[in-house]
Amino acid sequence: MGQLSLKNVVKTFGDFEVVKGVSLDVHEGEFMVFVGPSGCGKSTLLRMIAGLEHTTDGDIVIDGKRVNDLAPVKRGIAMVFQSYALYPHMSVYENIAFPLRVERAPEDEIRKKVEAAAAILHLETRLKQKPGNLSGGQRQRVAIGRAIVREPEIFLFDEPLSNLDAALRADMRLELTRLHKQLGATMVYVTHDQVEAMTMADRIVVLNGGYIAQVGAPLELYHKPQNTFVAGFIGNPRMNFMPAKCVAVSDAGVEIDFNGQKLTIAVDVPADQRTALIGTDVTLGIRPEHIAIGTGDAVMTIRPTVIEHLGQQTLGYAALPDREENFCFVLTGTQIINDDQDVQVSFSAADCHLFDADGNAFERSVELSAMTVPAQS
Amino acid sequence: MALKLFKKDQTRAMIDRYSWAELIGIYVGIALFLFFMLAPFIEGFLVSLKPLAQLFSSPYSFLPENGSFEAYRTMWVSVPSFGRYIFNSLLISTIATIIVLILVVPAAYAFARFKFKGMAMVLAAFLAVSMFSGAVLLIPLFRLMRTLGLLNTYFAMIVPGAAFLIPSAIWLLRTYMMRIPIELNEAAYMDGASQFYTFRRVILPIARPGIIVVAIMTFIGAYAQQFIFALTFNSKTEFMPLPVGLFAYFGKQEVIWNELMAASFVGIAPAMVIIFFLQRYLVGGLTAGAIKQ
Repeated sequence: MGQLSLKNVVKTFGDFEVVKGVSLDVHEGEFMVFVGPSGCGKSTLLRMIAGLEHTTDGDIVIDGKRVNDLAPVKRGIAMVFQSYALYPHMSVYENIAFPLRVERAPEDEIRKKVEAAAAILHLETRLKQKPGNLSGGQRQRVAIGRAIVREPEIFLFDEPLSNLDAALRADMRLELTRLHKQLGATMVYVTHDQVEAMTMADRIVVLNGGYIAQVGAPLELYHKPQNTFVAGFIGNPRMNFMPAKCVAVSDAGVEIDFNGQKLTIAVDVPADQRTALIGTDVTLGIRPEHIAIGTGDAVMTIRPTVIEHLGQQTLGYAALPDREENFCFVLTGTQIINDDQDVQVSFSAADCHLFDADGNAFERSVELSAMTVPAQS
Repeated sequence: MALKLFKKDQTRAMIDRYSWAELIGIYVGIALFLFFMLAPFIEGFLVSLKPLAQLFSSPYSFLPENGSFEAYRTMWVSVPSFGRYIFNSLLISTIATIIVLILVVPAAYAFARFKFKGMAMVLAAFLAVSMFSGAVLLIPLFRLMRTLGLLNTYFAMIVPGAAFLIPSAIWLLRTYMMRIPIELNEAAYMDGASQFYTFRRVILPIARPGIIVVAIMTFIGAYAQQFIFALTFNSKTEFMPLPVGLFAYFGKQEVIWNELMAASFVGIAPAMVIIFFLQRYLVGGLTAGAIKQ
């Protein structure tokens, strides 16, 4: 058990609508990540599922039961807070035991469960210490211990790793993924960090301004973003967007005019929409990691203003005429490029994304299974 | 080099370093300030050591000649019920403190955590009330006590005192409790704890240093304040607290100054002991590790 459904859930604070009608099914045992920029409503949505916020409209259903008006415990939910929210005056043992003490569990059962949780989280030697004596990662594990000891069906995580430093965050990411496998429970995880989302999620929900922008598996979002928002949000550095014009549409895809070059992008356009499309403005999207030096399907001459050498990668940023955002490209390995000198770069039509004037994507004709490794030229 | 005044010897942060001139200035300032603060107490103590006759000698000598602690013995003889006065003082202050704590701790929590209609108004009213000194309300209070038949009881000295101490105590403790992260309440709520359970098991232990500060402030306040209430609402010798009891050393002909001073110091001692005892529980940084800040 642990199946969660949101049905047209709305949340308003006064006149301000934060969550504007979200419908979503989270499957049993799934690791679902809510991701989005700050203020997109992801935390509010999580807090509504948790039962900390009142739901203005719509239904929250867990295992077929509407839980809108139930207290968090009755929902079979546990939550891990961004700030850990440990009880500073209690030992680690008592912190983990807290939910069991609340339900007045017998002492030997408490000991058994706390020790089991501590074993899972490698906290056995810390049980007598106070949270103040623990490192950030250990505190976070105590917070998780407090959540798992009650054996809930659904775990909620509110940006649990955002207070940790980068190295520790990577470790905890692995640990959480392992924990998910071990417990097999449904987990809903809120983050603004797309690396966490991409690495841990079974499916990702991208939220934008209170709406769901897209729901899908990590690679699906990467390879087939449904709109410019998701395309720009998933992937780092973000996708480059450039204006183009639609010239022709066929079964093979859309032929566009990009800087005077003709490119055929393999996307599916329903037959009845094809004629209307010809002559309209479209947006061409290309990820920085799909750009190479030299010639290819489409060629551009740019002048990078900043070059970043990371060793395993070389990043370049160039200003494009009439565009606010920098054009960014990522080259593998250490490349000898100088800033403020023209360089010819190119990309392949197969790597392109195409969006209509409203920012909605034309579905790319790619097999996701064939794209498990990003194409590198 | 015993005095680490040279730069290379210093382990202090740059911001805490001072030049010679600055250091001298700082200590002269401290000495001056302390002298003004402590001079009455020093003089009081010296007086308590002198025989009564020497107090009016001319020229006046500050340092006692053949000083002794004799006054600390004779004070018990000239005012036999002095012990009772100390006890009364402690009793009044302690009960007032207990009453204040029982009322203030839940009230401050409510003001810190819950939003309700009229909250701002009530808080403002508390401030306004504490601006009145008890003295302004003495006459109405006296009439009230007389009507209720409560004059010349401990009640008359305890309850008004406690009432005047509650508003500032609520403000003080509310500020402290507002600093306890709300996530702790939410986490406890997620774990199924009721409001009361959370209050008792999570909030109270964390708020302990704040509660102790309020207890100390209230105790001192009640101790200092009881004079005026005792003077007006009580005429029974056996209920008199220390400040009023000290008048017993004012004889018809003369004031026994040395015993009066000795009695003042002896009378304060128990209160000091209690405050030092409470202070031991003032543990800082109790919220360390609760949340990442």
